[in-house]
Amino acid sequence: MIQTIEELREYLYKGLQLEHATLPPYLTALYSLHPGKNSDARHVIRVVAVEEMLHLTLVANVLNAVGGTPNLTKRGFVPNYPTRLPAGPDDFEVHLRPFSPEALATFLRIEKPAQAASEEDRFVPMDWATLGLTSNGSAPSPDELAELEESGTVLGLVPGDPTQRFSSIGEFYEEIIRGINHLEDQARKVGKTIFTGNPAHQVTPEYFYSGGGDVIKVTGRDTAVAALTLVAEQGEGLHGAIFDNQDEIAHYYRFQQLEMGKYYQKGDEPGDPSGPDLHVDWSAVYPVKPDIKLKHLEGDPEILAAAKEFNQSYAAFLTDINLAYNGQPDLLLKAVWEMFRIRDSMNRLIRNPLTGQSGENAGPTFELWPSKEETP
Amino acid sequence: MTSYDDAEQIIFPAGAATQTSAAEAAKGEWDAVIVGGGMAGSIVAEQLSQAGYKVLILEAGPGKDLDLAEYESYLSRFYGAVVKDNQSPYPFNPNARMPRSTDTMPVHPDTPRDDFYLVQEDKYCTDTTFTRVLGGTSMHWEGKALRMLPEDFDLQTKYGQGLNWPLSYDDLEPYYRQAEAELGVAAEVEDQTYLGMHFPKGYVFPMHRMPPSYLDQTVARGVDGMRVNLADDDYTLQVRSFPQARNGVPNAAYDGGKGFVPVGAVSTSQAEEGERCQGNTNCVPICPVQAKYHAGKTLAKALRKGNVKIVTQAVASKVEINDLDRRVTGITIKNYHSLDSDSYETYTVKGTVYILCAHAIENARIMLASDMQRMSRSKLIGCNLMDHAYLLSWGLLPKPAGTMRGTTCTSGITDLRGGRFRVTQAGFGVDIHNDGWGWATGSPYTDLVELVDKRGLRGPELRRTLGDQISRQLLLAFMIDLLPDRSNTVTVDDRYKDAIGNLKPVVSLKIPPYTMRGAAFARKLATDIFEKLGAEDKTHYDEKSYSAVEYDGQWYNILGGNHLAGTHIMGTDPTNSVVDHTQQSWDHDNLYLVGPGSLPSIGTSNISLTMAALAFRSSIHIARYLRAAKAPVTVGS
Repeated sequence: MIQTIEELREYLYKGLQLEHATLPPYLTALYSLHPGKNSDARHVIRVVAVEEMLHLTLVANVLNAVGGTPNLTKRGFVPNYPTRLPAGPDDFEVHLRPFSPEALATFLRIEKPAQAASEEDRFVPMDWATLGLTSNGSAPSPDELAELEESGTVLGLVPGDPTQRFSSIGEFYEEIIRGINHLEDQARKVGKTIFTGNPAHQVTPEYFYSGGGDVIKVTGRDTAVAALTLVAEQGEGLHGAIFDNQDEIAHYYRFQQLEMGKYYQKGDEPGDPSGPDLHVDWSAVYPVKPDIKLKHLEGDPEILAAAKEFNQSYAAFLTDINLAYNGQPDLLLKAVWEMFRIRDSMNRLIRNPLTGQSGENAGPTFELWPSKEETP
Repeated sequence: MTSYDDAEQIIFPAGAATQTSAAEAAKGEWDAVIVGGGMAGSIVAEQLSQAGYKVLILEAGPGKDLDLAEYESYLSRFYGAVVKDNQSPYPFNPNARMPRSTDTMPVHPDTPRDDFYLVQEDKYCTDTTFTRVLGGTSMHWEGKALRMLPEDFDLQTKYGQGLNWPLSYDDLEPYYRQAEAELGVAAEVEDQTYLGMHFPKGYVFPMHRMPPSYLDQTVARGVDGMRVNLADDDYTLQVRSFPQARNGVPNAAYDGGKGFVPVGAVSTSQAEEGERCQGNTNCVPICPVQAKYHAGKTLAKALRKGNVKIVTQAVASKVEINDLDRRVTGITIKNYHSLDSDSYETYTVKGTVYILCAHAIENARIMLASDMQRMSRSKLIGCNLMDHAYLLSWGLLPKPAGTMRGTTCTSGITDLRGGRFRVTQAGFGVDIHNDGWGWATGSPYTDLVELVDKRGLRGPELRRTLGDQISRQLLLAFMIDLLPDRSNTVTVDDRYKDAIGNLKPVVSLKIPPYTMRGAAFARKLATDIFEKLGAEDKTHYDEKSYSAVEYDGQWYNILGGNHLAGTHIMGTDPTNSVVDHTQQSWDHDNLYLVGPGSLPSIGTSNISLTMAALAFRSSIHIARYLRAAKAPVTVGS
């Protein structure tokens, strides 16, 4: 439970980590599609990925508004894939893998609407045995817990109490909104506010756009709640509806279109899209080796070099985005061409077969801070 | 809260372009029959749709849904094409052919029919083009959206050259703003306030200007402040941003602070792409993300109410006319079955008013093929063909200047678009091409061939040399005014027919000395600019080319601008023009000719924005015509 401003900021940092964590899996699937094929899938995944970047920016705006400092360059900010995400009573693994029915099933789970029955059900004790982290189900040692909390390998852990996790991402944001309301009520009683951040650090619409909604400048409680509601709604839909309040199809339903072979249009009921047909060619995909690591590339020095280069350029990209979130929003314009560079270097990996691995291709590893033993 | 709150999603209704067959269309009675689904036709259709009229669009080219899949099929054909000319994204279509720059050559009646579309029998041949697919030439245009200068509207009075318009800049100004909203123009008023161009107080363009490229800034360091003397007047040059119909950062001050929502890609589902230009450099012919305006964006809006229908693969072959009252009674179309077969059916579609929006050459061709010149009091159908005359100059800069980054063209020199020198020589605008020497030499492909085949480079050295060479390329394109001249014509000739028996357009365009004086001056200016920049001049003109023009003992290559205009010019009376200021035919009451063919002069602005402004203006008159035509007749006692 959020009781202090420091806790709120910690939660929002976790929000940044969570929003970003979906990007590597989405981008890997997106760029695994053969060029010129699978146009429908390409656009569906692309739009969702762009909106995840919007969410990242919205959470950064809220964090800045409450006087926090976004930090996307902290060790462990990018998970070591596979990462785990909460889904009600269970959690599930999110892999870096090519576009496939399994990948789509994961994407649907990531975005699936899941509301807890009550505020008490918001938190679920961690099941360490299922995770395979301890054999008897007891919590890992405090050191291991601290590392786990930092690393983003298990997402949705309760900040400050990693023996519990949120039942869903939606509930995680509900808790943040509750915390904001609680802290702002308390602050106002003594004539203060929690929105003490530097307004110049807000990212405004001239610096960032996505087809699916505008950046919201966060200056107080209403705009903070609007920003976080948009983040939650664009994923799973407004109270489970297909369209959010900006008439955008929620991510869950966007992905469902690929499963059902039809587009949604206005007036449709969930599960029954009636728009134009769409087509998925599961075979027009590069066979990227799932959850590939640098250590798998020992036999391919050129690919290894390209994979390291990719990780460096991705780290540089996060560094720039981080500067943009810390008072230099115009750096987001520069990030446009950096994203082209990221795309090109991902393609370079994804389109290259690995030596001695029957039929598997390379891919981006997203190991931004590999330890010595992980680096061949 | 945000500007997106009240923005309507623009979705192209699935199957809208195929749901009405030609046979059904011929059974119906339409308020308006529009020939051509390009920029002008789409604007008129959308405006008449708003006014509640039943509209049929006849499109000669193919086109199904204008969804992303169709657009991307164009894109992938472009990517795969060896020669990336303006028509390279579009399939070869013998039934509604389009001119291709690669087909340019003098022809005679024995030339194989499939080798060409535009018939040019002269020694000088223009490589100009226009595009015949749903969306028209907006499917290959660059997206520059300049207004004409106030002085362009009365060139004859001011400088004793060309023709006056029956309209002034101020008459057209509100419609320019309407066109700038529809096309989504990115520019700043302070950049565009020059040579008399003016804007209402407080006006801002829908979006902020495209950022000037690094190449622009490099050129500006040499050009800004350069002085030239022309006809006893001094002109100071500067590099200036061009207004463009491509999505940039919206101007929050637009429309009294309401802001502007850029229209991105259109499709049959939520596409959400192209709301901002990404700086790809292949704007011509096709923007990969639809950040550049094309008529499909307007067409998608026109189709929303359901009172606009489209029939594609329907080539207008004849305008049917009642000889007694000279009213148009129908448009006869040849509806071909596919691009691979020459079989077709013939239908005649009927409406209250008919609007030809098939671009300058096709509008004239259809009318001449319908023998309408015999009824024309001015005899000017097909006359006064105009196009900008392009002269290229190219050089190699001393240092890499970032060529190949940014959109095709972001800035240029506009100071010599107008001035008293126009008494004796043509004005021109100068484009700084961000895409290198491609237009002049076929770069970068030719660079690669040269480095590999002639210089034997490979590996890292090849990559380094190629990168260095291309990023230093500077191409200046001089867009030179070409005045209306009665002897520059589109005609038809029974000896030249296409695959389904329609007459091909016969074009005769000569580059007059007035324009060549401008070209010679432009060439001199290019060498001065290159010298200022320390660039090595690589320009060479080929006197054996069909584009070669000799002037004052020198040979130049004058290329087509794809800004075809003037084949049914507007004027003040039926003897000096084909249409009046509303683009209504002087000779046929229920016929409007809407498009660049109505322009009595083109000055030095790319024609689309002016054509779009005129289309908005004419739509009001056409709606007024329909209102009167359809009003219940009161019979007096």
